[in-house]
Amino acid sequence: MITSRLPGGMAAIALSLSLAAAAARAEPYLAVQQGYKCMACHVNPAGGGMRNAFGNVFAQNVLPANRIDVGDDSWTGAVSRFVMLGADVRAGWTSTDVPNQKRTSEFDVSDARVYLNLEAIPDRLSLYLDERLAPGSATDLEVYARYWTAGKTWYLQAGRMYLPFGLRLEDDTAFTRTVPGINMTTPDAGVQVGWEATNWSAQLALSNGSAGGPETDSGKQLTGQLAYVDPRWRVGLASSFNQSDAGDRTAYGLFGGLKTGPIAWLAEADLIVDDGFPERTRDLVSALLEADWAVRRGHNLKLAAEWFEPDRDVDNDEQTRWSVVYEYSPIQFLQLRGGARLYDGIPQNDLQNRTTFFLDAHGFF
Amino acid sequence: MTTRRTWSALCVLTQLVGCAGNGDGLDPSGRPVSSGGDGTLTADFASIQANVFTPICTACHVGANAPQGLRLDAANSYGALVGVASSEQPGLLRVKPGDAAASYLIQKLEGSAATGARMPLGQPALPDSTILVIREWIASGASRGTVASDKAFTVQTISVAATQIAIAMTRPVDASLVNITTVTLQSLPTLPDEPVMIAAQIAVSPVNDSLIVLSPKVALPPGRYRLTLRGTGSAALADWSATVMDGNGDGMPGDDYVQTLTVGGAP
Repeated sequence: MITSRLPGGMAAIALSLSLAAAAARAEPYLAVQQGYKCMACHVNPAGGGMRNAFGNVFAQNVLPANRIDVGDDSWTGAVSRFVMLGADVRAGWTSTDVPNQKRTSEFDVSDARVYLNLEAIPDRLSLYLDERLAPGSATDLEVYARYWTAGKTWYLQAGRMYLPFGLRLEDDTAFTRTVPGINMTTPDAGVQVGWEATNWSAQLALSNGSAGGPETDSGKQLTGQLAYVDPRWRVGLASSFNQSDAGDRTAYGLFGGLKTGPIAWLAEADLIVDDGFPERTRDLVSALLEADWAVRRGHNLKLAAEWFEPDRDVDNDEQTRWSVVYEYSPIQFLQLRGGARLYDGIPQNDLQNRTTFFLDAHGFF
Repeated sequence: MTTRRTWSALCVLTQLVGCAGNGDGLDPSGRPVSSGGDGTLTADFASIQANVFTPICTACHVGANAPQGLRLDAANSYGALVGVASSEQPGLLRVKPGDAAASYLIQKLEGSAATGARMPLGQPALPDSTILVIREWIASGASRGTVASDKAFTVQTISVAATQIAIAMTRPVDASLVNITTVTLQSLPTLPDEPVMIAAQIAVSPVNDSLIVLSPKVALPPGRYRLTLRGTGSAALADWSATVMDGNGDGMPGDDYVQTLTVGGAP
């Protein structure tokens, strides 16, 4: 039975969500559409990964076009006061067309993860695990302990974690995720201090700077960002300095969001100064502009334009990527996506001029 | 109304984002024509570097933020691949000369690796013909080809796994000088305890003459370690032409190389 009737225990939360939201799914554009900070829906204050109780209620009552009634026992992620569980599974079909090559297509499980959050002292001390089950064998991505001060203003976390830099997009292949090299495929071991005030959010992390690999030198990476969040707009600055025997790497990011009616806009521009290239230092630039149009409840049209300058000292080498994606959330905890990405680069490199089409399903809770 | 909004959004996107480069004066890697490959892939390391590693893999695997510390730029890739244990699957070499199927690089490119996603991440899989050429290079011995001799003799890349530490030098090493007196590994326990020497086999890789391989007798537990390569004294590390190691990279031979390494999830 499909219904919009809510279980009694969540009615108040759902009502406030409904008043604030027209339609939604996951990713930073949701936060912009709703005027929320990342920690409103995620266990991690910097966003991504496991959803908290509010995020789970949101996913059941605001995101989907329809809601299947499961009675009064709706999922909030909490197994008990001390234990929370969550998961993400993404699977689908991708067709790739590279000039001068035979078109290829495949079905694939692109990502399967489980999350565990142990609240040793509720709202103060927790142990968090983000375990990737596929593709390949199980791998721990994030494993850390976090301590919040009273009132949840400051926190300290130590372990292996995603570093805070710019918009934490679900799509780790976006230029603004691959070019800085700080994304959800490269968690790093270290410590992080965070600050959450009414409209402000900040993180500062000191880590190995080895992008998930073993540390082979004494250099460390310092990464931080500061964001101001208004219900209609937000802006943030990010910076990272990674000292390494392979060559130092410095990254600067400017990012923001704006809500104009049913459209949420996201933008980010990054400058990376990398001493790690054999011949000399290179300055790289990546940029993203994304529009997410909440067509109606459960439906989102995403248009994204990206730009990548691999070396500011070399002319004619720029690349662009254009994406059109339609996202449909028919019921709670399920999202269906279909779209195309058009890459445009130098004509002598076929891969830089490929086109991909994809259909995928995202199950989560 | 909604249609107008959509087209407005598209127009804004189009205006704000620049265009792709026309490629004038560039090779297929997007580098000036004098610095890259010619687009013809052959089964030798220089060609694979110029046509695969540099244009495709270094989109991520370069510099300080290279995933898994694996740097595949022209200066580092050979030393990080050939005869070096994978950090994801320490029981496998990234490139095992003569055995392509058992090389982790091939498994990652073909999507059969036990850990993680198929490479290149977020890009289409390499064409079968390209992987076949890489397989052919590995099967025929994974030779480096000509080695540049104008660089100082020093440490180029270190790859760490629990069962092996691989130290890639810039040039082939005089194997007679590689032993437990010139290459040492110590664990760094919490103060005030003293560092403890790790028992290990130390030798030049039989498949890569620029690679010093340190194999601990038992797998290294997570923790911090100090690696020392001796470039001073009468039996200091040297290359085939008896040029002593420049450990601190100051351009003057005759210095030790000392580095702290982290294994596993140690902070």
